[in-house]
Amino acid sequence: MSTTTTSRIEYLPRSRRRTLVAIALAGYPVAVAVLVGLKHASLNRWFVLAVFLLLLLPTLATLTVSYRYARGRMGSDRSCARGRMSGRRVRLDERDLSLRQQAYALSHQVLAVILIAVTAITEIYLTSGNTLRLDATNFWPAAMWVIVYLPALPSLMLAWIETDQPADA
Amino acid sequence: MPDQQRQVHNRLAVLRAERGLSRKQLADELGINYQTIGYIERGDYNPSLELALTIAELFRLPIEAIFSLKPMTPLSEEIFREPPPGTR
Repeated sequence: MSTTTTSRIEYLPRSRRRTLVAIALAGYPVAVAVLVGLKHASLNRWFVLAVFLLLLLPTLATLTVSYRYARGRMGSDRSCARGRMSGRRVRLDERDLSLRQQAYALSHQVLAVILIAVTAITEIYLTSGNTLRLDATNFWPAAMWVIVYLPALPSLMLAWIETDQPADA
Repeated sequence: MPDQQRQVHNRLAVLRAERGLSRKQLADELGINYQTIGYIERGDYNPSLELALTIAELFRLPIEAIFSLKPMTPLSEEIFREPPPGTR
């Protein structure tokens, strides 16, 4: 990605960043729900796969933008050093560190809310006389969610909480 | 203690302009990112005590001349304000 594009991402207004975060968070569950819905319809499997991938594209795009936005500020010290080398930031100063801490705290809260909600829904579903069979059709979407979102949550939360950059002067 | 942080008002933008410093130059002097200067000037970020003292040291001013919990009056008004009668 060019420096101009990176710079444009860095200066994205908060309202737009929040829209991107919402798309990133909602995109995958929506794509999986559509996939499950289409599976029951007698449609060509390649068509179903194409629709699923098409619905997944905005999520992948918005996740990429969020990663680029947070580059050099989240993650391990080694990845932050890579961000520094690429010129995104000179170093992490006290505001960056405080923001990183807030982003991690918020991502833990979001994760806790999601886990509690999933547990509660599963509990209600099971106590209503239904049975839940754990197989590849429901295990892999859940595993993929964890693989995709768990590392991305802090970057998404950073993009969510940071206020607009001051105009250069 | 209330959750909401109190806003710290400052004269950083005025002092920086007065000395003809860009945000980048001031940030380099302080060893922070230039965006942080913008956030402090806009009141979006309250600097740590260490950073506030470093800024005061850099401008050679007492810390209360740069940062305050109350909205700041223009410097000229403070310099040329008439002293209360009987205090001279």
